[in-house]
Amino acid sequence: MQEIRIPQGMRDLTASQSRRKEALRKRIEDVFESFGYEKICTPTIEYAKTYQIGFTSSTDFSEMYRFLDQDGKMVMMRVDMTVPIARLCATRYSTANPPFRFRYCSEVFKIRHTFAGKRSQVTDCGIELIGLDENSDIEVLYTALKVLQQIGTKEYRLEIGNSGFFRVAAEKLNLSEEQRTTLADLIDRKSLVELQEYLEKMDVSDEIQTFLQSLPLLGGGSEILNEAMESSFCEELKQEVRKLMKLDEDLRKLGVMDHVSYDFGKIPHLDYYTGIIFEGYVSGVGTSVLSGGRYDSLVGRFGRDLPACGFSIKLDVLLDVLDEVEKKVIRIGYPKGKETEALIYSETYRKDSCVELVPWEKQQIEVIL
Amino acid sequence: MSLAVALTKGRLEKSVTAMLEECGYGVERLKDKGRALVFEDTKKDIRYFLAKPNDVITYVEHGVADIGIVGKDTLMEGGKDYYELLDLKTGECRFILAGLPGNNPLQKVGHITIGTKYPNVAGEYFRTHSLDPEIIKIDGSVELSPLLGLCDGIVDIMETGTTLKENGLVVFDEVCRISARAIVNKVSFKMKREEVMTFITDLKEKVNEKC
Repeated sequence: MQEIRIPQGMRDLTASQSRRKEALRKRIEDVFESFGYEKICTPTIEYAKTYQIGFTSSTDFSEMYRFLDQDGKMVMMRVDMTVPIARLCATRYSTANPPFRFRYCSEVFKIRHTFAGKRSQVTDCGIELIGLDENSDIEVLYTALKVLQQIGTKEYRLEIGNSGFFRVAAEKLNLSEEQRTTLADLIDRKSLVELQEYLEKMDVSDEIQTFLQSLPLLGGGSEILNEAMESSFCEELKQEVRKLMKLDEDLRKLGVMDHVSYDFGKIPHLDYYTGIIFEGYVSGVGTSVLSGGRYDSLVGRFGRDLPACGFSIKLDVLLDVLDEVEKKVIRIGYPKGKETEALIYSETYRKDSCVELVPWEKQQIEVIL
Repeated sequence: MSLAVALTKGRLEKSVTAMLEECGYGVERLKDKGRALVFEDTKKDIRYFLAKPNDVITYVEHGVADIGIVGKDTLMEGGKDYYELLDLKTGECRFILAGLPGNNPLQKVGHITIGTKYPNVAGEYFRTHSLDPEIIKIDGSVELSPLLGLCDGIVDIMETGTTLKENGLVVFDEVCRISARAIVNKVSFKMKREEVMTFITDLKEKVNEKC
């Protein structure tokens, strides 16, 4: 028998799954629309060089689908939308007046390990607010919370961190590049055992050891902000904590604190983040469903220096926790041979609903109840 | 909220169950289990299930288990998409480099071949020694491979060293120490922080008492 399969990490969606995904996409996009974001589209393939510029040091080509174009240049399937949008904004909007509010809903591609049960193609739906500084973080966070609320699961949580916190600490402690990378990885993975072993081998004071060892668990509700303030060993670190305190105050005014928590052990995987970073979680999904942050230097790498902040939602991981969406359709029966008459008959119904023509044994053309 | 805890079948099962019992968890059903795979805690709102080491990681990464108890050997070889919060200091053993006496792969001139069940661990170990051996994946009784002349040495787990000795192999180096660890799904840690931390803290106190 002929073997017919789809490539690894790919999935087909049935009609009912697609319907759910569409309904979710619409709910999310309506929120974005209500905050003034306009949809933009970029090509599915980009030059590999574009990502090298965007990600600088952290470009990991092993998880990208790459091939050569007609000129022998390396191209790749886009792995995210933020880098293409930074490129688009810096080049196509090079003379327009900021701020720009862009939204997108696009397929992105990343090669996942074989047999790990993960998707290599996912739909990313998100926004980028470009041209406004960190004072606008609150707007982006509020939008993220509104969207999480719209997804409609019982419980959801937005966890906020500050990429500046670890960066400042690393600078103050004069960590070498190797130490910084290792510690960032261990702290972000909350690998408490290895972190302790690594710190014991490092030549730093007990106080600093305790500080670094405490980072992975320095998370929770608003109360953790005071704790972070106390453990901050210099004025610059305190300043980074104050930024989150200010946001905390604003989120309180907006009445959304029930769904917010903080994590000072959150360290970004992408080196373009410069300020806040955040992730959204909903009950029933084992990975983060929303992620984003502030990236003030990324657009500049493409030639127009603009601060920016944004996030995206992974639609596909949410499908399993969403309720079935009912198909709304009027069915009209007709006898075989009367297709044209049935089309004429259905025209008035089609104005405000969808109509499905169904051949049946009866001789009449009428709505099936 | 209730917790789902994945425990590793086999080597770690007994000591971890005993530890949970000492912490006051209702794990009677785990001790007398027959062929069942899922067990309710008789005192707390926890569900345990038993799985092979690699599957414990998979279940935790996907979030169907909130917490997993699994050996560091398996963690070192597998994925990394979880939080590793505690060393249970039980099920302790070592990764070692072994081979036939006088044939230390680290001192060999020329191409080195290494047999192992743990290609990632072996690869990483040799990288730290700036060596680039050929690694051959062996699935069981790794000790056999140098005896048959398939490779210059092996990287494997050693508990007592008896198997090595009986086959005339000697240890050349310790790669690292390993023991049982508690890993946590990233989202569970956010959404069920209190429940997760209670479980981890209970175990941690027990670990500290013993050391």
